[in-house]
Amino acid sequence: MKKYFMPILVAAAAALLAFSAGSAQAADPVKIGVMAPVTGAWASEGQDMVRVIEILAQEINDAGGVNGAPVVVEVADDGGKPNTAGLAAQKLVSAGVVAVVGTYGSSVTEASQSIYDEAGVLQIATGSTSIRLTEAGYQLFFRTCPRDDEQGRVLAAQVQALGFKRAAIVHDNTSYAKGLADEARAIFKTNGVEEVFFDAITPGDRDFTASLTKIKAAEPDVVVFTGYYPEAALLLRQKRDMNWGAPMIGGDATNNTALVEIAGAEAAAGYYFVSPPALADMPSEAAAKLRAAYQAKHGGQPSSVWSVLAGDAFNVLIKAVEAVGPDASKMGEWLKTELKDYAGLSGPIAFDAQGDRRGEVYRLYRVDAQGAFVLQ
Amino acid sequence: MEFFIQQLTNGLAVGGIYALIALGYTMVYGVMKLINFAHGELFALGAYVGYSLLVTFDLAGALGPAAAIGLTIVMVLGLVGLAGHLLERAAYRPLRHSDRLAAVVSALGASIFLQNAIMLKWGARHRAYGADLLPNVTVHFAGQSYPLIRLLVFLAAVLVMTALYAFIHRTRLGLAIRAAAIDQGAAKLMGIDVRSVIAVVFVIGPALGGLAGLLVGLYYGQIDFSMGQLYGLKAFTAAIIGGIGNIPGAMVGGLLLGLVEALGAAYVSVAWKDALAFVVLIMILVVRPTGLLPERVAEKL
Repeated sequence: MKKYFMPILVAAAAALLAFSAGSAQAADPVKIGVMAPVTGAWASEGQDMVRVIEILAQEINDAGGVNGAPVVVEVADDGGKPNTAGLAAQKLVSAGVVAVVGTYGSSVTEASQSIYDEAGVLQIATGSTSIRLTEAGYQLFFRTCPRDDEQGRVLAAQVQALGFKRAAIVHDNTSYAKGLADEARAIFKTNGVEEVFFDAITPGDRDFTASLTKIKAAEPDVVVFTGYYPEAALLLRQKRDMNWGAPMIGGDATNNTALVEIAGAEAAAGYYFVSPPALADMPSEAAAKLRAAYQAKHGGQPSSVWSVLAGDAFNVLIKAVEAVGPDASKMGEWLKTELKDYAGLSGPIAFDAQGDRRGEVYRLYRVDAQGAFVLQ
Repeated sequence: MEFFIQQLTNGLAVGGIYALIALGYTMVYGVMKLINFAHGELFALGAYVGYSLLVTFDLAGALGPAAAIGLTIVMVLGLVGLAGHLLERAAYRPLRHSDRLAAVVSALGASIFLQNAIMLKWGARHRAYGADLLPNVTVHFAGQSYPLIRLLVFLAAVLVMTALYAFIHRTRLGLAIRAAAIDQGAAKLMGIDVRSVIAVVFVIGPALGGLAGLLVGLYYGQIDFSMGQLYGLKAFTAAIIGGIGNIPGAMVGGLLLGLVEALGAAYVSVAWKDALAFVVLIMILVVRPTGLLPERVAEKL
């Protein structure tokens, strides 16, 4: 038996080698990095980002890869904190990725930009809406989410259109919420809405009754909250407990179904927010396919829109690799000049010369009495 | 004036929770001279155990709200107390005779371990207790309306602290705990089983922290795995303000911290309320380095 063993092994090895050479010759795997807050305060967003991208990558690999090369997704956890973003970025750079999807928080993305730029890695942020990011002039930086100034414009216009006269602006001192609050505040100065209160709450706090009592004393007819959903939900709930009926309007970081779970449908009813449309409201065929795939694999739906924008970022990267090969600077050039109205999950995608997404993405939503988010 | 009274009650409600958590820090410190940094995570564990019982197993649907919450309180006290006991066995008992810094590092490690364990078990998403778990009743008092649950949370905190104080001062076991707090060696010579005293302290402290977690879940309706950090820090501050090692001190410190935060938000700035609270902490420590009610040897713990 033993003497037959070696030849069989050699033959098997040779066959394996020949087989793998066949596919390896076509192309080395295309490595795409995902930098996401897999742990930390935004872990649910980060984990959804990874899930969506893994589903999309699986689909591409099942269909034979990009130009015959398999796609490999490298995940790095940024913890949702600027000080761990550098480590995550370096991990991806040394893993040899050609491009990176991510990340969610603006301040975290900001901390990683220069690292990717120096390493010549293309980056597409997915939830980082702070204006500064694309104003910094990095050639290989893009984002599939809109900017705060667009969101601020839409938010301020909607407050006026809904007929409110006295607005209390509340943010949470994160660069996203502060940026959005400043933007809305500047527009209120010109569009006839009076600002009666402007201050920040502490994210992670649970009791906002003291803040709400103070805000109520300023007698606003609308509360504009630019922070994230956990705090928005608590504000709504505690506002209801105070029997204070003034409506609240917020930004896209409150577009999360957990808002209603925490606040309860009764307290959340009547809450407005502006946001890119949720996955369920996206009419594209690709979105329907993703809905089905996510449902089958993880049950339910991604809890917010940001992971879908991560999916869009991943898809345009794959398109760019298909068009010009895995070369970051060529891909960047191609995304800015050649990509026109690509049918993304969240609608048509194109980028301007700064790397910002073109076109208006924001819509107004209202929470109805059953706690559903209804596109207005 | 109405505004002031409203803010006063806002502060007391928050302070009651801080005080309840601060008890766990102060009891453990009193006996072991150790800051149990994992206490905030035990608090979060209480919130999650309550979530599992009330939401996942839907006890309220099976037993009716009052019985369900009663049973949940008992089970949270028991399970988090058990977790505290295991923590002591695993992370602190082996280090009893080593350097004090080793125990501090072990406490930090236990904190990180527990926080991540909670995230892996229950997931990273914010969990909601459900807004319809408790009837939304408001009580009218002195021209103001207050949610009933808020008064109940505050009353529960005061009740637990009074019971604990009576337990420490009126029972034999309480006497043994006080003796071990004063001098472990002498207590041993008097025939007190110091090891089991420490074990008892590590059941009661975490159980109360867990209860605070459950109350936070019931009252605010929202929990997340990192909630122990902020509450732990605030409660630790409260324990220091009151004089760590002193049970009435934990209560005074907690309520004071809640009041300073609420009044700071009301009259200075919402964004600066935490900074203000810590300025008060520093000022108190400058004037009274051992806190407001420092542990006096005779009444230590």
